[in-house]
Amino acid sequence: MRPKATATVAALGLVSALALTACGSGAGNANRVVYWDTSNPSESSVFAGIARECGRTGGYEVAVEAVSFDQALNNYKTAAQGGQGPDVLRADVGWVAQLARAGLIQDLSGTPLGTDTGDFLAGPLESTKYEGRGYGVPQVTDTLALFYNKRKLDEAGVAPPKSWEELRDIAPKLGGDKAFFINNDEYYALPFLYTYGGDMVDTQARTIEVNSPESVRGLQMAKDLLDAGAARTALDQPNSYGNMKAAFTSGEVAMVVDGPWAAAEYLESPEFADPANLGIAQVPGSATPSPAGGHDYVVRQGSDATEAATKFVECMSSTPNQVAIAEKLGLLPTRRSAYDSPAVTGNRMVAAFKPMVDSAHSRAWIPEGAELLDPLQTAFADILAGRKDTRTTLDETAKLYKDTVVPDYAKR
Amino acid sequence: MTLTAEKPVALAGRPGRVRTFLGRFWFVYAMVLPVVVVLGVLVVFPLLQGLYFSFTDINDNNIANPVLDRPARYEITGLENYFHVLSGDPSYGAFWATLARTLIWTFACVFLHYTIGLALAVLLNRPMRFRTLYRVLLILPWAVPVFISAFAWKYLFNSEYGLVNWALEAVGLPGQVWLGQSDLALVSVVVVNVWLGVPFMMVALLGGLQAIPADLYEAAEMDGATPWQRFVHVTLPGLRTVSSSVVLLGVIWTFNMFPVIYLMTGNNPHTRILVTYAFERFFSGATRDFAIASTYGVLILSVLLVFATVYRRAMRGQGEVL
Repeated sequence: MRPKATATVAALGLVSALALTACGSGAGNANRVVYWDTSNPSESSVFAGIARECGRTGGYEVAVEAVSFDQALNNYKTAAQGGQGPDVLRADVGWVAQLARAGLIQDLSGTPLGTDTGDFLAGPLESTKYEGRGYGVPQVTDTLALFYNKRKLDEAGVAPPKSWEELRDIAPKLGGDKAFFINNDEYYALPFLYTYGGDMVDTQARTIEVNSPESVRGLQMAKDLLDAGAARTALDQPNSYGNMKAAFTSGEVAMVVDGPWAAAEYLESPEFADPANLGIAQVPGSATPSPAGGHDYVVRQGSDATEAATKFVECMSSTPNQVAIAEKLGLLPTRRSAYDSPAVTGNRMVAAFKPMVDSAHSRAWIPEGAELLDPLQTAFADILAGRKDTRTTLDETAKLYKDTVVPDYAKR
Repeated sequence: MTLTAEKPVALAGRPGRVRTFLGRFWFVYAMVLPVVVVLGVLVVFPLLQGLYFSFTDINDNNIANPVLDRPARYEITGLENYFHVLSGDPSYGAFWATLARTLIWTFACVFLHYTIGLALAVLLNRPMRFRTLYRVLLILPWAVPVFISAFAWKYLFNSEYGLVNWALEAVGLPGQVWLGQSDLALVSVVVVNVWLGVPFMMVALLGGLQAIPADLYEAAEMDGATPWQRFVHVTLPGLRTVSSSVVLLGVIWTFNMFPVIYLMTGNNPHTRILVTYAFERFFSGATRDFAIASTYGVLILSVLLVFATVYRRAMRGQGEVL
């Protein structure tokens, strides 16, 4: 009962309002670039260091503000709507189209950033496009992979599975549900959704595909793995990602699906003190089982420091800096030329992920792309918890898409 | 007295009644004006704006954009939002089911707050050793920021590594999935909210208890009243004024209690109450559907207004002035 709660919320509001005005104070300065970095704590110091170096050599000031990834999109939209906020944002690839449609980021197609794109990989570059124009510069690219505990798989005498069926068959040798942990977050549902050719929407045919027979079959596979005792999950969704990491780093489960951003954290655990014990393979399933992810730099519409911001983005995404990021964090560069560097190709993470990124499943680069994921979270959690039958759940999700997210798409 | 005698003269007065009126009361108006302005700007204007938005299709993409000099493009859609919401359609938050859950949540929380708070207040009102220490310990939950408590509880309720399940299993009971896709999630957030809310009730009721004159108890004891009779016939009536206020406040707060539910369970439809859904539509994901969120806001306000009116009338019936 909560004057306390109200006070907390009010205080949070006040603090964020102050933070916003603080950012705003930078907005009037053409020589100061405010950069919102959404990378995770184990990565952010590297990005911040490179950002400051860019400012030093470029002759402008750089203020790096670490913003939590979960909150960044909302905070950015609120701030940018009022002409405030950072000059440069590290945006998830799924945010670019919606920010472009809302007019909150700059069309870069006329600038050197927009024209000089030949060096970038085609996949990541696609995510910066909205209605044929370029709105961002790819920072890093990624996809999900199967991380496995090499020692455990060797002891059981099995190889990383190529399909979910194979995973189900080898699970008994790995101790049943100790074989694999399914994170019931929406993004981690995508490999299952894609396995048999399903998807959330088809942007070409403009249809909703989330309840197609292929999609249903894919998510049902996740449930079947649980039912067969070949995998486990955290049925309490809020603890899911944390429990998955804990189960994997403590050696309790042998395999998980995660992205390259998690590798640093995994390697800190005693179980993977020897980095060679951390195996990386393609996610089981089809030839293109994993969603294409990553981040883009975008410049805020209305930023007073546009010129400096452009230079900043150019510097941040330059080949040497991409090489440095890859070398230190194992994140994947988006420039072809970065892969010429032995420091990049020699990095274990990059070497393991590169072929998977090349075959990653392209996502719907539409403004509603990010919004499609939220309903999937509830649906996936419901399915895994056995609350509802897969088909019914996905039919409901499709209805929700039709009613509130993509009303002009056709339902199947 | 003199004031009432003079009034008719002033009203009929020649130099203009406004001037006389202002001449006499200008100071009062000058003092009240800032409050009126601030309330108007901070409360009335947003309220009316929210009401207006609930009749439009406003969202992220059609609001005015000062940076681009883009004018607002949202349109008035009449009662469409209300039709969508009140139809109970799951795509619009399954309003009736959510309202029912909100009511269950509110009454469960307030009932437990009140009863546990009262019990603790009665306990702590008696002279005993370390009374101050107990009071401090019991107020502690209130002093910890809600989000910290919420995350701590989220960990306690963790189905695999949580202390709650560990304790259950230690005594041979099966562990539960507390924050999963079932009604247990609602039970969990009620537990946390009760834990957080009891201190306030306890302090308020303790204040009320201390205001009850001791001689009433003495007199009752002389008349041979049992402790239970003293509680029912002296304590409860003596607390009525405090209770009716804190219960009304409690209902309003709990009805709109956002942080506990959202921080503990996120978008789980099994713990969704009206405000968390309004927030979901407003902020979470990419929707920023201001129109539906405003519609929910208006409906929440309406429900609370109806409740407050009925409650006040009921209290007045019992002779309370609220």
